[in-house]
Amino acid sequence: MKHVSPLQPAAETKVKVPTRRALAKQQTRAKVLAAARRLFSEQGYEGATIRDIAAAAGMSTGAVFANFTDKSDLFREIMMADMIALGDAMREAAGRGRTVEDALLKMFSAGYAFYKSQLPLARAAFSVSWAPQDGPAIRNAAPVQSLHDLIAEQLEAAVARGELGQESEVKLRSQMLFDAYLSNFPQAIFHGWSLDALQARARDQIRILLAGARRG
Amino acid sequence: MKADVGSQPGALGARASQREATRNRVLNAARELFDTCGYQGTTIREIARHAGVSVGSVFTTFASKGEILSQVMQDRLEPLYAELDRVVPHLRGCTADRLRSMFAIHFAFEAPRARLFLAHIAAAYDWTLPATARPYGHTPRLQEVIRECLAKGVEAGDVDPAADPQEIIDLLMAAYAWTWRLAITRAADARAMTEAMDRQIGLICEGFRPR
Repeated sequence: MKHVSPLQPAAETKVKVPTRRALAKQQTRAKVLAAARRLFSEQGYEGATIRDIAAAAGMSTGAVFANFTDKSDLFREIMMADMIALGDAMREAAGRGRTVEDALLKMFSAGYAFYKSQLPLARAAFSVSWAPQDGPAIRNAAPVQSLHDLIAEQLEAAVARGELGQESEVKLRSQMLFDAYLSNFPQAIFHGWSLDALQARARDQIRILLAGARRG
Repeated sequence: MKADVGSQPGALGARASQREATRNRVLNAARELFDTCGYQGTTIREIARHAGVSVGSVFTTFASKGEILSQVMQDRLEPLYAELDRVVPHLRGCTADRLRSMFAIHFAFEAPRARLFLAHIAAAYDWTLPATARPYGHTPRLQEVIRECLAKGVEAGDVDPAADPQEIIDLLMAAYAWTWRLAITRAADARAMTEAMDRQIGLICEGFRPR
């Protein structure tokens, strides 16, 4: 057994420098994810195979499997990265809202803008989210839950400000607002709705869903 | 049934009924498979195997998996709409309650085959779906019934005449579809989903009450 003094390396650097091997692994993952994102967008979730993804990334299927357990793992990883970025964009947008209605509308618009350039990926995500096994994993994932929480926070803040009544059923109402937000995606995916059209629709939906909670 | 091979019309009839039989076997097998394996988990090859027919003969009748599923769902709609037509004229009470009864009928009808219904929703996002397929969301008959219900509400005075019926319909349809996620995440049955839907209908109706 080789003896290594525990003090020696620690004294050199506090931050752990990634080994060359770890760096290579990171690059491989990034390459696979980029290729997978492209293929899921071009061929949908079902149409894209691990074999195609590996070929597009310029590596063997074995190398893909060394980094991801299966196709759904790969897809989830892409989805979650997007959900985190989307959450940041929505939070920033909500902060610019003057009223609860305005904040929600800005949030939703940020979401539609985020996916405007990658609607095929959104389509694949909806398809996966309705699958019996992969669906719950995506719906219950922390980054998706935090989108729900963000809506609930807007409602709670509005209740605290007195903009909405105390009996606002925040949980149910925020769930329904999120559902309404999602329900407009098919219009964008299949009917080519513009951002303006999506926004106009969302504004009306938000008004209806908030009406019962308004004071007075 | 023995086919009459002696005469030409008989042979043609036999071929037609043979095709009809194959079609029914495919649809029955597909209904079972979609209900157990979901949309992504079901393949044409499996459907053919369960139906006891060749993959080729499945393709002579249907162009794709999505088309088979939409035919399965289409066939199921007839009894559902018959039930709806039977019940709707007798519905009483406020608009929210009448809507609640209408959606309760849907949940009671679809819930015993929850996975089949979920497969139907998932299929709406399938890449390869041809224009001939009718994915989830194309429910003109239901929308018409809701529209009539809202018109009655305007007459009765519990629906704002200025409200846009299509917008309300879309919100209700969205709530209905998304309530089905409870079947995935919580294995909810018809009663649990109906309860969740009832609350959502109440909240939507508050939004278009005359003020």
